[in-house]
Amino acid sequence: MIKFRNVWKIYKLDGEIEYQALKGVSLEIKEGELVSIIGPSGSGKSTLMHLIGLLDKPSKGDILVNGKNITSLTDDQLSTLRNEFVGFVFQQFNLIPKLTVLENILLPTIYARKKLNYDPKKKALTLIKKIGLEGKEYSYPNKISGGQQQRVAIMRALIMEPKLILADEPTGNLDSKTGIEIMNLLKNLNEKEGITVVVVTHEADIALYGKRTIKIKDGEIVRN
Amino acid sequence: MNYIFFVVKAALEDFRRNKTQTFLTSLGILIGVFAVVMLTALGLGLKQYINDQFSALGKDTLFVVPGKILSGGSFNATSALASIKFDNRDLLRLKRLKEIREISPIFSKQTTAKSEKKSEDSTILFASEAFFDINGFKIQKGRFFDKTDIDKKAKVVVLGPKIAEKLFGTVEAALDQKVAANSVNFIVIGITESKGGGGFGGPDYDSYMFSPYTTGFIFNPAKNYSRFAIKFDENYSISQVKEAIKKELLKRYDEDSFSLIEPGDILSAVNSIFAVLNMVLIAIASISLLVGGIGIMNIMFVTVSDKTKEIGVRRAIGARKKDILVQFIIESTILSVFGGFLGLFLAFVGTLIAQKFFPAYIDVNSVILALVVSSAIGIIFGVFPAKKAADLEPVEAIRYE
Repeated sequence: MIKFRNVWKIYKLDGEIEYQALKGVSLEIKEGELVSIIGPSGSGKSTLMHLIGLLDKPSKGDILVNGKNITSLTDDQLSTLRNEFVGFVFQQFNLIPKLTVLENILLPTIYARKKLNYDPKKKALTLIKKIGLEGKEYSYPNKISGGQQQRVAIMRALIMEPKLILADEPTGNLDSKTGIEIMNLLKNLNEKEGITVVVVTHEADIALYGKRTIKIKDGEIVRN
Repeated sequence: MNYIFFVVKAALEDFRRNKTQTFLTSLGILIGVFAVVMLTALGLGLKQYINDQFSALGKDTLFVVPGKILSGGSFNATSALASIKFDNRDLLRLKRLKEIREISPIFSKQTTAKSEKKSEDSTILFASEAFFDINGFKIQKGRFFDKTDIDKKAKVVVLGPKIAEKLFGTVEAALDQKVAANSVNFIVIGITESKGGGGFGGPDYDSYMFSPYTTGFIFNPAKNYSRFAIKFDENYSISQVKEAIKKELLKRYDEDSFSLIEPGDILSAVNSIFAVLNMVLIAIASISLLVGGIGIMNIMFVTVSDKTKEIGVRRAIGARKKDILVQFIIESTILSVFGGFLGLFLAFVGTLIAQKFFPAYIDVNSVILALVVSSAIGIIFGVFPAKKAADLEPVEAIRYE
């Protein structure tokens, strides 16, 4: 589903100094996989995640999504692809504080450019029920717990029925018990609904949830 | 386009939570709109008021005054401090003109009017019986003085309603009473209806007293008149009448010693002064709008900064650059229009208060202009911060702490 071919990401810092975040990374993520990407800080795993999530373009090399090379896409096209293809889950949940739980989950739909063949509101309410937050549809994020917020974030990631969920340190701001619940939820989504899940982490025990682990260090893949 | 609903809702929620900040941000626009609409309303009211005053005079009225007061349609103040004074010879000559139907000589005296219980500073205006008709006065109690009073030099006086109330308590109580002025005793024979005026340099006739000009000779032994009020025969054109009067007066005086003034002249002069004054005031008020716009732009820059992470998240979940642009322009426009509405509301209240004094009114054009301008300011000054927001790189924005 996603193929990286000799991808480099080079940043120019203040003038001529170059920083090579990714050096010739090649990998493939197949549909239905649950993959962990593990590496220490500064390893380039965030950069890798940004590129998988189509938030950025490579400096060199190709990224293919379902066979299509994304390096030729415009900013608008990339945004649309993100909207329809990827669901993000962040370490800090990143819900919009002045929108309700329901509105946060529906947020991706307001940027949807394609016509949805389902009623987003109905779907959102179903998802809310699924994660056990019935009754909190109209609560604001600051009134629910961290674990509940992350659940809402996962539902937000699912509302557009994406092919890929990309989770960046999803348990980083949660206690271990809640962290386990969240990882099980992601595992469930992968096994029961066939959604491809990529988890980026620096914790070995979180990485274990993945059926495959990609190890990255100093901008290069060490183990795949 | 249902994200507009979401954007508006989120913006309103933001504003609700930061009521003070929202209010302060829109303050500039509020003041600007209030000032512009209010000044326009006052300006229109003033114009209306002055036009009303002059419409009472009619098209067949003319004034003969000393000096060249109006040169080329504008007020000539130095000439207004007149040198010549008209006298009975001029009166008789002008009376003889066939073009003139009625003529009243006029002179006045500042005095202290005394009733039995009160005393009040006032002006007595001495004129002929024609004065009231020429100037469109109406009587509410009693009568005006007439030709007989003039011939008899009757010591009678007609009071304006304000001075009547000041000296006697009520208009009714004033009739047939005695008024003393400079040791001369007058009898009140009538009280006029209110004529308004008194503001903006015009005489406050409601506080005046009127008496026959022949009676006034007691105070004016030289029998000089300060001006003439004339009603002419409508069968003649105004230029014909002016020619005839000029011809007569030129026999005695030179061109620059006197002026013939139509109400229309005064009206256009006053109107043009007010038009310029109004424009200047509005230009000054518009500066407030500019400052208000800059204030909004400033706050929006801060808002964009504060919301950097949120912008990153929105971009991550699929917002395009133009979606972010629209979001922030809508926010700044709401702020601006909010200020505009408040300013309009205050201008409405202000106009209602002003209407107690003269006919101020807000016309539809002002309202539309105010709303259009405040929206435009929101959009124009919101563009720069909105562009900054839209151009943020999603990756950096998400990482922003």
